[in-house]
Amino acid sequence: MRALEPWVGPPLQEFLAESSARVTLLMTSAGQVVAQHGFTRSLDVMSAAALGAGIMASTDELARLMGSGRFGAMVHQGARQGMYLSAFDTPRGRWIGLVVFGPETSVGLVQLFFQQFVDELAAAAPPEAPQGPVLAENFERELNASLRALFGR
Amino acid sequence: MTGYREVLERVSAVGGIRGTMLVAAADGIVVAESLMDGIDGRAVAALTASLVGRLRRTTASAGLQAPTVMHLRAENGSVLAVPAAGDLLIVAVTERGANLGLARLEMLDAARQVA
Amino acid sequence: MSDPIRAMTAELAAEPGSLVFLDLAELLRRRGQLAAALKVAASGVARYPTLADAHDLRARIHSDLGDSEAAFDAWMDALELDPSHVGAHKGLGFLYFRAHDPVRALRHLETALTRSDDPGLHAAIARVRAAVTEADQAPPIDDEPPPAEGAVRAMAGDLPFSLVEGPASSATPSDSDLFAGFEGARDGLLLLDAQGMRLGGGLRDADGADVADAVAAHLAGVSREAARTARLLELGAWASVSAECGDGNLHLCAPTAEAVLLTVRDSSIPAGRLALLADRAAAAARRWLGGTA
Repeated sequence: MRALEPWVGPPLQEFLAESSARVTLLMTSAGQVVAQHGFTRSLDVMSAAALGAGIMASTDELARLMGSGRFGAMVHQGARQGMYLSAFDTPRGRWIGLVVFGPETSVGLVQLFFQQFVDELAAAAPPEAPQGPVLAENFERELNASLRALFGR
Repeated sequence: MTGYREVLERVSAVGGIRGTMLVAAADGIVVAESLMDGIDGRAVAALTASLVGRLRRTTASAGLQAPTVMHLRAENGSVLAVPAAGDLLIVAVTERGANLGLARLEMLDAARQVA
Repeated sequence: MSDPIRAMTAELAAEPGSLVFLDLAELLRRRGQLAAALKVAASGVARYPTLADAHDLRARIHSDLGDSEAAFDAWMDALELDPSHVGAHKGLGFLYFRAHDPVRALRHLETALTRSDDPGLHAAIARVRAAVTEADQAPPIDDEPPPAEGAVRAMAGDLPFSLVEGPASSATPSDSDLFAGFEGARDGLLLLDAQGMRLGGGLRDADGADVADAVAAHLAGVSREAARTARLLELGAWASVSAECGDGNLHLCAPTAEAVLLTVRDSSIPAGRLALLADRAAAAARRWLGGTA
């Protein structure tokens, strides 16, 4: 498991242990990866994060057209594994969780422990440090630092 | 769904039953429920379905037929589960000291009615 | 710095593109100098990213460092380069076994066996087969002698894992005292530790086949799930799980915090009476466990 921010680690670890999920990706609504577990290729992470954020954005727009409130989560069930995608609010903004699971668990368990995970994230998030002005060079350095922290390189 | 609710309410009427549900066994999600306050239906559905799945694999490995009644007994109450048609489960959460024998019979009857 | 390490270090310094980094990093790993080993291996991987052996070596070091995730990734990298890499399959087999996924573990170990006739690998596979938990179990190995614990330990010594995680699956010398006087002592009463390893008793199906190991592989998961369910539903500590089947009934309870007891009878014994039988057997198990502690 790799997490961009250390406080995400323990709640994510707990979620993984209880839900028996195979793959978990946590991202901002813009598709920036916050934490991952189970992916072995950074390219997969990038693609999945972009696609997951895109799906949620499309779903939100669909809900708006329908005059409905935002949909909390969606489940896709395949023959051998399923995918659970859920957006939720955090003190850091709106994040998205993408969870891939197999027959060793169930969507019910994933949903149950994902909600618990969201609650624990909210409790664990430290107060956000005030941000300085964003300069191009700072952005590049911060991006590189984030990638190093996430992928351990 | 009204039919399911009536079936579940008959089970819930047994002394000491805190709630009864119809659960999709494979997914661990609620299909119908008749619950008292303080029972987390989603948790009951997900956890019971998972336990039932493990028990089924255990009995299969022992060369036994699939279970018809499953019972988790704990310090402060019990969870009972009876399979019904369509890979559904009738699940009941009971207090300590509930009339388990009657609950079991009502659940078996309820399972026959869910077709 | 010892001579072989000194010599290899000098060779690598003189020729950075040398493959001696493989031997050097492996020697450092075996000597426990993991930070240095990782540095050498990482540098070698950077220079030879398509060399599966380099990724395998990196995985072993990560595993020694306790970083299973990084080890997993590195072995997967090795497999991408060489889908039949023996070391990668062995490593992934042990990782999955440690993660209580014996089916995947078995798949990897059996793949390794197609390229290596290591006797320790045979022993490890026999051990993992006993723990397969999915419905499509591998058939029992009836035509091979039971694995010698020494062979399994020798194999495990090759890798940074301990495959032998609990007491031997065969009954202890005093097993005959465990359920003495109980009907079904050898075929309807099974005592396990919390990890699902057999402590005593036995279980046979209606045809007389020994199903104890196959059932034991499931029971640790059942007891953990029962404990979790009771806890999260705020029902307190779990006491027992029972199942009524058309042709038999079973009852699972925990005589102590570190053991689980399974009692199985045919359907002529109703669930209530089975629970009483199980209580008596649990008391016997507690006395026996107290004597073997």
